[in-house]
Amino acid sequence: MTVKLDRRRALALIGAAGTAATLPAWGFPRVAKAASGRVVVVGGGFGGATAAKYVKRWNPDIDVTLIEPAERFYTCPFSNLYLGGLREFESIGHDYDELRETYGVTVLHTWADDVDPEAKVVRTRDGAAIAYDKLVLSPGVDMHWGALDGYDETAAEMAPHAWKAGPQTRLLKSQLEAMADGGLFILAAPANPYRCPPGPYERVAMIAHYFKTHKPRSKILLLDAKDSFSKQPLFMDGWQSEYGDMIEWVSLSNDGKVVRVDADALEVETEFGNRHKADVLNVVPPQKAGFIAERAGITDASGWVPVKPATFESAMVDDIYAVGDATIAAPMPKSGFCANTQAKVVAAVIVAELAGREPPSPSWANTCYSLIAPGYGISVAGVYHVADGRIAEVEGAGGVSPREAPAAFREREARFGAAWYAAISNDTWGTTGA
Amino acid sequence: MPFARWARPIRRRDILIAGAGVAAFATLGPARALAAAWDRLPAARALLGDAEPETAGINLDLPLISEDGSSVTVGVAVDSPMTSVDYVRSIHLFAERNPSPEVLAADFTPLVGRAELTTRVRLNESQTVIAIARTSTGRVLAAARNIRVTISGCLVRADTYDSEADLNTRVRVSSPARRGAPAEVLTLINHPMETGLRVDDAGDPVPERIIRRFDAHLNGEAVMSARLYRSLAANPYLRFFVAPDAPGKLRLTWTEDTGRTAEAEAPVRLA
Ligand SMILES: Cc1cc2nc3c(=O)[nH]c(=O)nc-3n(C[C@H](O)[C@H](O)[C@H](O)COP(=O)(O)OP(=O)(O)OC[C@H]3O[C@@H](n4cnc5c(N)ncnc54)[C@H](O)[C@@H]3O)c2cc1C
Repeated sequence: MTVKLDRRRALALIGAAGTAATLPAWGFPRVAKAASGRVVVVGGGFGGATAAKYVKRWNPDIDVTLIEPAERFYTCPFSNLYLGGLREFESIGHDYDELRETYGVTVLHTWADDVDPEAKVVRTRDGAAIAYDKLVLSPGVDMHWGALDGYDETAAEMAPHAWKAGPQTRLLKSQLEAMADGGLFILAAPANPYRCPPGPYERVAMIAHYFKTHKPRSKILLLDAKDSFSKQPLFMDGWQSEYGDMIEWVSLSNDGKVVRVDADALEVETEFGNRHKADVLNVVPPQKAGFIAERAGITDASGWVPVKPATFESAMVDDIYAVGDATIAAPMPKSGFCANTQAKVVAAVIVAELAGREPPSPSWANTCYSLIAPGYGISVAGVYHVADGRIAEVEGAGGVSPREAPAAFREREARFGAAWYAAISNDTWGTTGA
Repeated sequence: MPFARWARPIRRRDILIAGAGVAAFATLGPARALAAAWDRLPAARALLGDAEPETAGINLDLPLISEDGSSVTVGVAVDSPMTSVDYVRSIHLFAERNPSPEVLAADFTPLVGRAELTTRVRLNESQTVIAIARTSTGRVLAAARNIRVTISGCLVRADTYDSEADLNTRVRVSSPARRGAPAEVLTLINHPMETGLRVDDAGDPVPERIIRRFDAHLNGEAVMSARLYRSLAANPYLRFFVAPDAPGKLRLTWTEDTGRTAEAEAPVRLA
């Protein structure tokens, strides 16, 4: 591994010499000297892959190493469509060829196990020590095992969370396929904050689509630790119009909060002692930043990463930047879209700082598309900036799909959603997931 | 975007108190940095009288950030022997920057066995939450914590009060391990807690309608009672303790400002 890395570094240096004369037209005037450096990125998901790519895109002289255990990354976005039978699993998989071949990023398929912010070194699981000038962490979320009584890694083999796309998603799908018609699917949704606020509500819609087409007597119970949720009126209208009474939502105040899981029995218990037995049980537990953030010493008591709003540099440790789900970026939601735009801002900041320039002042955008049924899409969009030293939504810039809209409108939004997926995948990994 | 049951929508612009607090933390420590909080708030200051409250022995638990100010879980715990001669007599909660800062005032008897209370609060904006406790021996304790309130862009809210469930009550009592040990009581009533400060979709003011009072009795003896205010979240939720000497019946009563009441009963068993 170290040998490979050294060869890469050598190549990067040659690359630097070769490209010094050609100034890319990406907007920042380039300072010839001191513009290079070593950037290490942990996590090859929406945030990390984008950060690695854009640092290289904006300054190929910078040596970029991406650490990501998976050779192929499966996205959570559109994994609900796979559960609904609308996508093949491989269509949500992406690899790292573009990063490696087109952009010259060194991709190491291993885990980052530790960070030494003093020595500025990342240690990988296979024993390498990789030095950085700037470190970007985009490790996504880890399930907060034990925060929900009875729900740990073993329980997740029986009652999957499927909140990271991969084997868990396939397990849930196979359980749904094995379930008899007339069965009960239960999804337990967590309190805020968690990855993808509309995710649970899209998921039950997609599973309802699968039931409607394959097991029409089945029911869905959504037990929620919240009293309200993202795009709620739109979801509720859509559930009703597409699936009638198949989906029942139980709010926090109607005893929807699950406090204990018995995965062997596929049973959950709510706050006030009601028990529900499922045929297929999907538990989305409380979450926290991926463990490497804690090892780097950049998480706070909440388990998430506080950042300086304008740069997404850690509020606690210099030269470590964090993006994506791991961060506290509210009012920006934990979405792939946000991780991608945050990563571009961080890439611009790092490129500027390594060149000794002031970082540009940022703004970010987000759109969360959700699919309720084939040809029935809804969305919510927001634009964000820094105001009074905080991240804030730009008033009047965002919006949500109208409550009353003709079928053609919903159909269009479903198409926009699919186009969004292809575009963001292409922007992040150079593959569209066709 | 309708913000359920509160007069002003939460402003998306952030208030800088939290930031100022954090900066001060580093040099002064949390207690002194926020000490001014109860001095700033007349209702809190009135409770304290001339006393300088103790800041050790009281814990105020709330998140650093909430993405939904309409219901934020807040817990208060006080170190106390909770004997008949030395017990926490009352716990008061305030939300400094709400239109009416009072959230709740709970009176305890030694029967609670443990000086701990959790509830859900409405927070209009980023601000400081204050808890004050008074003991039967004349001690006063106070704690304050900053919280930042944001609304996530993916969390466009709906006005979701479920009027069919109005005045439904729920209660759950755990079994204490032995006689006199505190058992946990969880209770909730479905109620909109209309502040009287909000307008409906047609622009007409929605009249105030709130639960004013909550009472808990064990076998006819008072355990605790609480005055509830507009700043308590819809669907009032309380978690407290009761330390029974004998098995029996816990009776809970909620009283609305209209005089209407709702009741719930739960058996208390000894394990
Ligand atoms: C069901 C569902 C549906 C969703 N739908 C949408 C949607 O439609 N639109 C949208 O915008 N968002 C959606 N999301 C949210 C989206 O998946 C996340 O917001 C996004 O993945 C966050 O990007 P990230 O880079 O923070 O984390 P991730 O994309 O999860 O990437 C993190 C990567 O880091 C790696 N990693 C972690 N720790 C280490 C370590 N120590 N060393 C090396 N590598 C490490 C992991 O292997 C992983 O590949 C959805 C989520 C779910 C669960």
